[in-house]
Amino acid sequence: MQLLKQTRQYQSELAGYCRTGILQQIPGIHTGNVVQYRKLVMNVVDDILQNAYPLTYDLLTGAEWDALVAKFFAGHSCKSPQVWYMPKELIGYMVDTDHALLKQYPMLLNLLQFEWLETEMFMMQDIPVPLTRNGDLLFSKLVLNPEHRLMVLEYPVHRKKPSDIRPEDQQAYYLAAHRDEEGQVVFTELSPALLRAVEHLQERAISIQELYQLIEQDFGIQLTETDHLAIIQFIQQAYAEELIKGFAPVT
Amino acid sequence: MVGIGYRKDFSEEFLNSDIISPSFIEVAPENWLGVGGYWKKQFQKALERYPLFTHGLSLSIGSPDELDFQFLANVKAFLKETGAELYSEHLSYAKCDNAHLYDLLPIPFTEDAVKHVAERIRKVQDFLEQKIAIEIVSYYTPVAPEITEIDFINTILQEADCELLLDVNNVYVNAFNHKYDARQFIEQLDLDRVRYIHMAGHEQVSDSLIIDTHGEAIIVPVYDLLEYTLELLGRDVPVLLERDFNIPEMEALQAEIRKLSNIKETVLKRTAHAVA
Repeated sequence: MQLLKQTRQYQSELAGYCRTGILQQIPGIHTGNVVQYRKLVMNVVDDILQNAYPLTYDLLTGAEWDALVAKFFAGHSCKSPQVWYMPKELIGYMVDTDHALLKQYPMLLNLLQFEWLETEMFMMQDIPVPLTRNGDLLFSKLVLNPEHRLMVLEYPVHRKKPSDIRPEDQQAYYLAAHRDEEGQVVFTELSPALLRAVEHLQERAISIQELYQLIEQDFGIQLTETDHLAIIQFIQQAYAEELIKGFAPVT
Repeated sequence: MVGIGYRKDFSEEFLNSDIISPSFIEVAPENWLGVGGYWKKQFQKALERYPLFTHGLSLSIGSPDELDFQFLANVKAFLKETGAELYSEHLSYAKCDNAHLYDLLPIPFTEDAVKHVAERIRKVQDFLEQKIAIEIVSYYTPVAPEITEIDFINTILQEADCELLLDVNNVYVNAFNHKYDARQFIEQLDLDRVRYIHMAGHEQVSDSLIIDTHGEAIIVPVYDLLEYTLELLGRDVPVLLERDFNIPEMEALQAEIRKLSNIKETVLKRTAHAVA
């Protein structure tokens, strides 16, 4: 026996009320108590979004935040059965609807992406990778931490308090985010050359010597001794902070 | 067996001290599915020490929407991977018009909803290749009711041939909010199907309304209702302490676990004597 259209409608109307606050006539409903559902649902949604985007919450006025949350939940059908993953959908919603706040706060999209990246990386599944800890940073093939993401930003939301960011701060910022053994998410700002180095390491394990050659090819330049030292220094730091996780096992 | 809902809010203290000694832990698969890093390590530590019961949030068994079999496949893999002893869900809906709501809404008490829900529980049980336990939820308003709550529940249990997760606090809350006798309600349930019991605290927000917050200590009348329930059951059933908000010191949670254990032991001894 299928659910009757009427029953389906009542369920839809109650769910709709929780999302929009607009209550239809539903038989038998206790109008004084039904408000609890709207409160409970919106508390959960608001709480989860605040936890995912604390910097955005601080940046916006209370009224802006409340309106954003209310319109998002009313206008967007949340797809994720896992509530911790739901905040990601806010970014898609704001982009898809060309939300006015994105124009009002030019750095807002970057801020949301930056905040979500931290949550997503903190929570993401473990990714095993074959490697050894025995190797030499200068000569062995380097293995990148597979639990990482690269990100390009237009505004320095990783460096500055959002309210201090000015239009003249707009430029390309390259970031690597990775998760260390303790599970903490570490952000590293990269120059264009180091971004290419990490992108090469994404493809396969390679040594520093190979990296020099690849970067020279990418940029059509001859690296100087100073450049080599800068790359070595970056690799040492990346290894210490676990962006580079180890060395390719010798087969 | 008395267990506790394992929550991230107190995970660190829970794992790093021996103040709490539950017989098992319970989690919502949704909160741990596909999670790695720090929380996976913590969860693994907990799994090494305690048997696992699971209690889902998002299956939305009472939804008018289609069942999400991809999600269910993930749950099935999770149950297998963790060796979970039980999977339970709520007799409610949390998704409608293809949108998750992240809370539990009451299903209309109607004949067609009974058929609809029972069929979905059967499908879920077939898919998971195991019986599931369905929890009676607390609710603050009926929705277009045509039959009684007790008939709604018992018929679903029978037609779905599933188990019952009896949340004693929910029955207390519902009895208060909808002005019926909690003991009589429990007497009328199909008690042979009770597989698992939940206990929790609540908050009375007005003269006529209690909200099932899981944010307060269990009150004496709910302990009394548990004792009554266990006497009716006359057998050992795992009991879970749920505490989701306003988390107290570990000692306070252990005191509640101890109290629940004492009630169980007392009733079981009493019923054993009665049988003998």
